[in-house]
Amino acid sequence: MMQVPVAKAEQATSAAVLRIAAVSKRFGSMTVLQDCSLSVAEGEIVTLLGPSGCGKTTLLRCIAGFWNPEEGAILIDGQDTVQTPVNRRPVGVVFQSYALFPHLTVAENIGYGLRMRGLPKTEIAARVAAALETVSLSGLGGRYPAQLSGGQQQRVAIARVLVLEPRVLLLDEPFNALDAKLRGAMQVDLRQLIKRLGMTAIFVTHDQEEALTMSDRIAVMRAGRIEQVAPPEEIFDRPATAYVADFIGSSNFWQAEAQAGRVILPDGQDLSTSLTGPVRVMSRPHNLSLQPGALGPWQGRLLFQRSVGALVEYHVTTDSGDMRVMAMRRPAARQPVEGDTVTLGVIDPGLCAVYEP
Amino acid sequence: MTASCTRLAARSPTPGLLEAVADKLLSGRGIWPAVPAIIALTVVAVIPFIILLSLGFSQIEMERGTIVSQSFTLDYLINALSDPLYWTTFQRSMTLALTTTVLCLVLGYPVAYLYLIGGRWTRRAILILTIAPLLTSGIVRTYAWLVILGGRGVVNTALMQMGLIDRPLRIVNTHVAVLIGMVQIHLPVMILPLIALMARQDRRLEEASYNLGASRLGTLWHVILPMSAPAIGTGTALVFTLSYTTFVVPQLLGGGNYLNAATMIYEQVVYSLEWSKGSVSALILMASCLVVLTLIAMATSRITRWTKGRDA
Ligand SMILES: Nc1ncnc2c1ncn2[C@@H]1O[C@H](COP(=O)(O)OP(=O)(O)O)[C@@H](O)[C@H]1O
Ligand SMILES: [Mg+2]
Repeated sequence: MMQVPVAKAEQATSAAVLRIAAVSKRFGSMTVLQDCSLSVAEGEIVTLLGPSGCGKTTLLRCIAGFWNPEEGAILIDGQDTVQTPVNRRPVGVVFQSYALFPHLTVAENIGYGLRMRGLPKTEIAARVAAALETVSLSGLGGRYPAQLSGGQQQRVAIARVLVLEPRVLLLDEPFNALDAKLRGAMQVDLRQLIKRLGMTAIFVTHDQEEALTMSDRIAVMRAGRIEQVAPPEEIFDRPATAYVADFIGSSNFWQAEAQAGRVILPDGQDLSTSLTGPVRVMSRPHNLSLQPGALGPWQGRLLFQRSVGALVEYHVTTDSGDMRVMAMRRPAARQPVEGDTVTLGVIDPGLCAVYEP
Repeated sequence: MTASCTRLAARSPTPGLLEAVADKLLSGRGIWPAVPAIIALTVVAVIPFIILLSLGFSQIEMERGTIVSQSFTLDYLINALSDPLYWTTFQRSMTLALTTTVLCLVLGYPVAYLYLIGGRWTRRAILILTIAPLLTSGIVRTYAWLVILGGRGVVNTALMQMGLIDRPLRIVNTHVAVLIGMVQIHLPVMILPLIALMARQDRRLEEASYNLGASRLGTLWHVILPMSAPAIGTGTALVFTLSYTTFVVPQLLGGGNYLNAATMIYEQVVYSLEWSKGSVSALILMASCLVVLTLIAMATSRITRWTKGRDA
C-alpha cells in the first residue's frame, strides 16, 4: 500500500510537471487560499488532504483555470498558465460527481474532447475503444451515463480525460459518490491505473485512509494553507505541526516545559528540541507502553480498554492528561482491569514530537 | 394507505361520504387524484367539443325555432376543403404561427442563455422582465402596439422628427405589424420553459466541456443546446398552439382585414351566423394544430432519447 520511495519528495522540485508558487485566492474579503506552494514531479500522485471547506477544490479550480489566483503563479512544465484559458490547459479534471454529459453515450462522452480537437472520426473511435479497454468498460460504450453504476461512471469520467493525455490529472474527491464498501478496492485500482499510465496527478480528499492509500506524497491543508507536504510515512511519523498530528492518525498531547534544548518526558526520559519555554509534546498511542501496577514515575488509572484484533487500546487518565495506548495483548493473568493503577512509558522518545503550545 | 389516513379513520368510526371521497382522491393510486381535473375538462372542453362535432357534421332543419330533423352530413367539410379561401386562410395562419414560433425561439434562446450564464441579479432581472408582460392582458399589450406603430405613433413620429420620412409609414394593418405583435405577446411563453430548465442546469457540465477543450460556442452547441431540447419542445409547442389559434393580435393589428383561421371562424359565427361552417373550420384548425404538435413531440422525443431508459 505505501511502498513509495521517500526520495521522491526531493526529486519533486527538479523535474516538476506542476509548480504552484505562493498562490493566494480571495473571494471578496475572504481569503480562501493563502500562500500555497507545491511542486509535483512527473508521474507522482500528490494528495490534498484537509477538512471540508479548507480550500482543496479552490486550489484545484485554480490549477484547471476556472479561477485565477490573485497572487502567485501556477506553472505547468515551467510555463506560467495565467494567460492560458481553461480549454487550452493540459489539465484533466475528474469532477466531484463526475459531471458526465447525460445526453451523450459513454463512447460519446469519452470522445468529446477528441471531437472538440477536430480529430477524424476513425481515430476518435479507435482511441475511445482503447480508453474503454484501459478502464475495463469495453462493451458499455453505447450506454448512457444514467445506466451505469457509480463506480462505472467514475471510470468513464477518468477515461474521458485520459484519452486527451493531459500533463496533469486532477481528481476532486472521486470516491465521495460511491458506497463506502466499494471504496477500498477502487482506491487501489485507481492508484494502479494512474501509475500504469505514468500520469501526474493531484488527488483531493478529506479522508485520511484514502490519502494514505492513494498518495506518493500528502499535502495537508488547513484553512487555506498547506501545513506539510511529505510522503505518508513521514506525515505519520513526523507531523510538522500539532494540527497535522491531530488530523492524521490518533495522537496523545501533553504540556511540558523545554529547558536548555531538552524536554523531560513524564516517564523520566528526555528529548531534544529547538524550542524553549512551555511546549506541547505528542506521541502516537503505539509509541507508549503500559505496565500493570505502580512501577515508574508516569502512573495513571485505567479507564477503559478494548481489543482491536491482536492489539488492545487502553484509555488511561494521568497527571499529564488522558492518554491512549495501543499495545499487544498480554497473557490473561497479567492483563490489568479497569480501575487498576498502571504505569506508562514512552517506547522511542525520537518518535515524539514537540510543538509550540 | 398512509398512517395519517388510518388515524383519521380511527377517530371517526363511521367515515362520512366527504371523507371517503377525500380518501380516494388523496390515495395517489390510479387516476383518482386527477378526477377533479377530469370533471372540469369534461364540462368545459369535452362536452363543447361534442357539440362542435355535432354542429359541423349534421344537417339541421328548423321550423320556427325548433329542430324538426337532424341528419349526418359531410357537406360542410367537403365545401370547406374545396374552398380556396380556406386553404389560403389556413396557410396564412400556419405561416404566421411558424414564423412567430421560429422568431420567438431565435429571440428567446439567447435570453435563456444569458440567464444560464448570468449572476443572481441578471437572473432576477430576466425573470422579472419575462413575467411582467404576462401580468397585463394580451389585448392591452396589443393596443399598446397600436399606439407605438400607428400613423401618429411613437415610431412614425420619431422617424419624421429625424427627417427620415415625409409622411407616416403604414405599419399597422400590415403583416409586419401582426408579426411584431405576435412575437412580443408570445415571447415570454417561449422563454419561461427555457429558463425553468436553465435554472436546473448543472453548471459543472459546462466546466467539464471547457476542461475537455471545447470553446464557448462548442459548449453551447454540444452541451447546452441538446440538453435544453425538452424545454425547446415545450416552448415551441406552446407558442405554436397559441399563435396558430390566436384571434386578438391579427384582429387588432391587422385592422380587421387580416384574415387568419381564428378571425375567419369569428366572422363565420358572429357575422354570418353560419355555425356549421364555423364548427367545421374550428375542427380543421384543431386537427391541423394537432398534426404540427405531433411533429414537434416526435422531433423532441428523438432528440431527448437519453432521458428515457434511465433505469434500464
Ligand atoms: N465561488 C465562491 N465564492 C465564494 N466563496 C467560495 C466560493 N467557492 C468556495 N468558496 C469558499 O471557499 C472555501 C473553500 O471552499 P472549497 O475549496 O470548496 O473547500 P473544500 O473543497 O476543501 O471543501 C469555503 O469556505 C467556501 O465557502
Ligand atoms: Mg471540495
